[in-house]
Amino acid sequence: MNKILGIVLRSGVIFSGAIIATGTALFIANHSLDNTSAYLVYNPGLIPHGNFPASLASIGSGLASLDPSSIIQLGFLVLLATPVARVAFSLFLFAAEKDRRFVYLTAAVLTVLLFSMLATPLFPLFNG
Amino acid sequence: MIVIEFFLTLFVASIAAGALGSIVGIGGGLIVIPILTLFLGVDIHYAIGASIVSIIATSSGAAATYVKDRITNLRIGMFLETGTTIGSIIGAAIAAYLSAIVLEAIFGTILIISLVPLVRKIGEEFPPIQELKGLAKKLNLRGDYVERDGRKIEYNATNPGRGLVGMLVAGLISGLLGIGSGTFKVLSMDLAMKLPMKVSTTTSNFMIGVTAAASAGIYFARGDVNPLITAPVALGILIGASIGTHLLVKAKNTAVRKIFAIVLAASAIEMIIRALGF
Repeated sequence: MNKILGIVLRSGVIFSGAIIATGTALFIANHSLDNTSAYLVYNPGLIPHGNFPASLASIGSGLASLDPSSIIQLGFLVLLATPVARVAFSLFLFAAEKDRRFVYLTAAVLTVLLFSMLATPLFPLFNG
Repeated sequence: MIVIEFFLTLFVASIAAGALGSIVGIGGGLIVIPILTLFLGVDIHYAIGASIVSIIATSSGAAATYVKDRITNLRIGMFLETGTTIGSIIGAAIAAYLSAIVLEAIFGTILIISLVPLVRKIGEEFPPIQELKGLAKKLNLRGDYVERDGRKIEYNATNPGRGLVGMLVAGLISGLLGIGSGTFKVLSMDLAMKLPMKVSTTTSNFMIGVTAAASAGIYFARGDVNPLITAPVALGILIGASIGTHLLVKAKNTAVRKIFAIVLAASAIEMIIRALGF
């Protein structure tokens, strides 16, 4: 079980690293001599958030045109999936050990994790 | 600064942050944030967004190795994660009513005070074996791992209640200040629960990834995750973390605790300096 989890985590990390590296290489190929300051102005009021994608839809449309920023964001999303996979896997681990207390505990952690990842961005309170 | 210089600077700094972070169980924001804000002139919002990415990258990059070597205690980590989660929700809810300056001064001071008990046990390789009782027994908060020389190290957790309170504080800090709080997590496991140092740092390493992933959605939707900053950070951290993990499995617990003490002092000073407004 631990071995499978190790393989899942490792391939997730390598996969995500490869995607981010591809996006970075594409960006550098076109912009290596640009002045960085233009990319670092914080402008969350701009839709969609300045010049890079910050939603699944904009990443999706960016990927279609091989936009380097969208490729990097996709790599980040794959990376983000690895801690979730780890918690989800522990759920099976504890279930296999028939450890009911920890199955509940892990299920609670997984629920809160998924809820805050997916739902909190929708609340204006946290969206300042 | 031109793009290629910016990328390379951040990439190299992130390798160091990833190596250090994966050894002592923190997210690397301690190195990444000041480099971005002070040295590269990046807005603090982007710096915190990059710090969230660096925490997740450190945690995930180190995870595969620590899972294989079975040093991380998933059971203790999952138990404590409930405290961190509740703490961070409370923290996020009350953040608007508290002053960040006062908080940083308080937490910085707590970190400095906790250096005393930490330094007192600086030479301790393995904690004396504790009696498994009460809540720790009920939840079977124990474990073992194999050192590189083949010795099997067994341990029992003690004071799970105190550990949980420490995690509540750690969660509060994450929620209030938007920073990782690996230092508080390691401190709770080391000082209150008396786990071997490497178990504390690797379990913290697991926990910071889960906590950071929970808040990543907010930063992402807000547009704080700027791919041109996070890309060199993520790549550097992933490489650094794989170096760090290989060092950790071979390292002595005393060496890890010494490095952790230095990091703790540095992060306390960083917090207090920020509070004083420099």
